[in-house]
Amino acid sequence: MGKVKLATSWLDACAGCEMSLLDVDEFVIDLAQAVEFTRSPITDIKEFPEVDVGLITGAIGMNEQEEEAKELRAKCKILIVLGDCACFGGICAMRNAFPKEAVLRRAYIECESVKDGKIPSSPEIPVLLEKALPVNAVVKVDCFVPGCPPRAKDIKYALSELLQGRIPVLPSDMMRFD
Amino acid sequence: MSDRKEITLTVNGNQVKGKEGDTVLQLCRANNIYVPTLCFMEGLSNVGACRLCVVEIDGERRINPSCTYPARDGLVVRTHTPNLEKYRRLILELMFTERNHFCFFCAASGDCELQAQAYRYQMDHARYPYTFPALPTDTLNDFMVIDHNRCILCGRCVRVCGEVVGNHTLDFSRRGWRTLIAADLNQPLGESSCISCGACLQACPTGAIFSKVSAYRGRTSEGKVIHSICSLCGIGCEIDVLVKDNNIVRIDGANLAGLKGQLCLMGRFQQVYNENQRIITPLIRNKKGDLEPASWEDAMKLITGKIKDYKAYYGASSIAGFASSLCPSETLEAFVKFMRNTIGTSFIDTFDGSGYRAVIQGISTFSKNGKGLEIESPLESIMDADCVMVVGSNPLETHPVAGSYILRAKTQKKVNVIVVDSRPNTFGFRSDIYLRPDNGSEAALLGALEGLVAKKTKSTEKSMRFISLGRAVEKTGLDKDAIQKAAAMLSRAKNPVIVYGDGVLSANNPKLIARLLDLAKLANHDGLKVISLKPRGNSRGAWELGLANQDGMAKIKPKMAYVLFSDDTFETGDWVDQVGQAEFLVAQASYRSQLTDCADVVLPSPIWAERKGKYVSLDGKVGHSQKVLEPSSGIKDDVEIITKLAKGI
Repeated sequence: MGKVKLATSWLDACAGCEMSLLDVDEFVIDLAQAVEFTRSPITDIKEFPEVDVGLITGAIGMNEQEEEAKELRAKCKILIVLGDCACFGGICAMRNAFPKEAVLRRAYIECESVKDGKIPSSPEIPVLLEKALPVNAVVKVDCFVPGCPPRAKDIKYALSELLQGRIPVLPSDMMRFD
Repeated sequence: MSDRKEITLTVNGNQVKGKEGDTVLQLCRANNIYVPTLCFMEGLSNVGACRLCVVEIDGERRINPSCTYPARDGLVVRTHTPNLEKYRRLILELMFTERNHFCFFCAASGDCELQAQAYRYQMDHARYPYTFPALPTDTLNDFMVIDHNRCILCGRCVRVCGEVVGNHTLDFSRRGWRTLIAADLNQPLGESSCISCGACLQACPTGAIFSKVSAYRGRTSEGKVIHSICSLCGIGCEIDVLVKDNNIVRIDGANLAGLKGQLCLMGRFQQVYNENQRIITPLIRNKKGDLEPASWEDAMKLITGKIKDYKAYYGASSIAGFASSLCPSETLEAFVKFMRNTIGTSFIDTFDGSGYRAVIQGISTFSKNGKGLEIESPLESIMDADCVMVVGSNPLETHPVAGSYILRAKTQKKVNVIVVDSRPNTFGFRSDIYLRPDNGSEAALLGALEGLVAKKTKSTEKSMRFISLGRAVEKTGLDKDAIQKAAAMLSRAKNPVIVYGDGVLSANNPKLIARLLDLAKLANHDGLKVISLKPRGNSRGAWELGLANQDGMAKIKPKMAYVLFSDDTFETGDWVDQVGQAEFLVAQASYRSQLTDCADVVLPSPIWAERKGKYVSLDGKVGHSQKVLEPSSGIKDDVEIITKLAKGI
């Protein structure tokens, strides 16, 4: 049996989920034997090839992230999302209480560390969506691992199950939203 | 209730028994059948708000909430079918998407019932679009925050505020999905009629209402819960103290919806955190006049030496001892022995001793058969009364839980409440009749009420001397009608209870207390129902130990004073001047205060959480408080200090 091809995508997130993924200790050796990492922060490959498993961390907060999620969904057989942001909107959704304009103004103009700031408007940079959304609001998701961040053992459980051909749902006693 | 008919139901294929009048949920719980709930709370009314407790019942077209479904003989109920579980998960997803339930920055995470249910139903995502409403947060109360973003509108706070606290501050505002919990007419909580008892906070299943003094300091699973009693005011509420790393995280009422379980702002919040400066080592005043840390040996030697000196030069009665009735009986007993037997002085008192002497004199004027505090009624008699008269007290300020009993009786049983106080008293606004006689004329008012009640009930005793209505009007400055209305209300009642408090106890007027007792006896058909709201957690215990029965205490001028202040905050009374005039002052205290600032020697004393002992509640019930914290190494137990001092003399 060949290696399982995996591509990851880091959207609106803080890197906590990636840290947790690296925190699986010696399981990373088993993982490396069973899985071929294609696009990921480790390999620095930019394009998504056709893969077996797609993995997303983070919410969808910009149009670029929306497109990326759709592209990965199209190229993977199973899509797994990690962390509260990807599952529920999480930290990123805290901005949803305010209109997009107010959020941008706060970040680029009113922020204490900014002098003579202006809201960037170049067509080359992604556009902030009105609300930060969980991934399943944009594309179909097959497997969810919540947690802020998900603990290494949750990720290990989910990936082991996937490698054995099962779609995992975290058991009640493993579920954590914080 | 035991004569209710027994009924048999089939739940999940098994025969279970219950009583007619039970709800299906009650019956399931009694038979250890788990049904998930969120809006249900033991002791509160059932409203069926959350729909998590739905069950299938044969013959019903739809699934029904078990908390509001009356159990009937022969019902066939199923509590856990795939269909029900599907709906329960759906309900949870709707709750999570309706508002902003993000656990990672929530004070309740780990102790949240909504979160626990989501874990239970493996709710790792929601299938519905999130509404992300921008809801306000009310932070104006000193101790509590209401975060509407985390509210599931279960209404437990509304029900506990109305049904248990009797305060009816919280209610729902607006309609449908726009509904918000509101205080009064949509005021911020801190500007509302809220008495900050925190019952709503304890009832809240999520982080929608959380405590400013406990948030983020630890979860229940990280600490240890110690069951104890609150020793502050003499009601003796049962508390569960959550302790983590030798710190108090949170104090909960042990039985929120029952009696003595709701707690008040003092018991629930103020005991958790205060900014007073703790005394952790003995202090001796040096030649420059400053207090300086000293060893236990030096401090004890100085005290025993001074006691011997004063005894030798001026006699033992030049030394007086004052003790806080916040201390447990064991400590007070040791103190009495030390002062009376070891030193040999009879001048001992509690800070609230003058109140006791007035009560005892009042009782002996009222009946000459040598009875004492035992003529008073248990606090619960308020709940059975048909009229409550509150004299010289705002129970919501001094004894909030007693205040709640009165408000509950008033709102749930339509019991009439009369408030008599010469001071401005906001409890008067909660009453049916609020009489505010001129200062010092309360006895005249009571005398007139006696006369009017006696005329109506035709029960009188020869020894009683009433005051005419005309004279009472003249003395009290009150309206004639108002006095007559109050008298009529008292006469209509069969089982009225009179509750009196600090206004009467500090008036130093035994006649007023005798009048109260006379009136109570005349008005009540079964006997005498009187409750005095004693100021401290162990006032009654201290008084029963004879700590406060020395006559003429107010006149003595001690040369040396020993004050067992502990963690008290009492700053009024005759004793303050007496202590201030003493040449040599020893203070055994937990915190720096005005008292320790003028003391010559200060010994550290444990606070309530660092000691255990017996407490006698204001209605004479014995309770035991537990040690919940380990004191720091410099602090010794009060009894140990007193015993050591006694050995040194």
